[in-house]
Amino acid sequence: EEEQEAEEQERFSSQQRLKAAVHYTVGCLCQEVAADKEMQFSKQTIAAISEITFRQCGKELAHAKRSTINTEDVKLLARRSNSLLKYITEKNEELAQLNQERKVKKKKKPEDGNQTCREPAEAEGGEAES
Amino acid sequence: MERASAGFRKELVSRLLHLHFRDDRTKVSGDALQLMAELLRIFVVEAAVRGVRQAQAEDMALVDVDQLEKVLPQLLLDF
Repeated sequence: EEEQEAEEQERFSSQQRLKAAVHYTVGCLCQEVAADKEMQFSKQTIAAISEITFRQCGKELAHAKRSTINTEDVKLLARRSNSLLKYITEKNEELAQLNQERKVKKKKKPEDGNQTCREPAEAEGGEAES
Repeated sequence: MERASAGFRKELVSRLLHLHFRDDRTKVSGDALQLMAELLRIFVVEAAVRGVRQAQAEDMALVDVDQLEKVLPQLLLDF
């Protein structure tokens, strides 16, 4: 039982750390908008945007039944707005191209073969993080 | 798109997503993480900009939660 409690505690504090990281990033982004638009944000507003962003994250991806989430799943999240979907689709193509270029560059370097079981195609562009 | 702008780090996005997965073995491709980071960035900037617009319409010098509250319903419909 004690172990379970410790685990719960651990989960809670790691969630708090993630929230803090989101809050930090949201703060930076709001600062950029504030400078651009010459308008200030209250601290509560930034905290509120952070909380919403935190909840927004993975609210739909969580239901994905697949074992690997790919860019098509992310594109589905952007389907509610045409302009957003268009932007995200373009961004996706941009990323794919960038990764392709990086792959070509890497191939020129001699491989030292210590990455055994990974296919080269997977090791680059689609490096899956668990 | 070269912009030295703030944004969500891939590692953070990965951790955030994994918070919600029921199955711990679920993986997210690197591309998907980058795209998700961009989507989150757009979401935040959009929230901020719409808040600014609302504050301007109300002749306020600051975006407060009241302004955010007013733009929130539509924002959540768009994302």
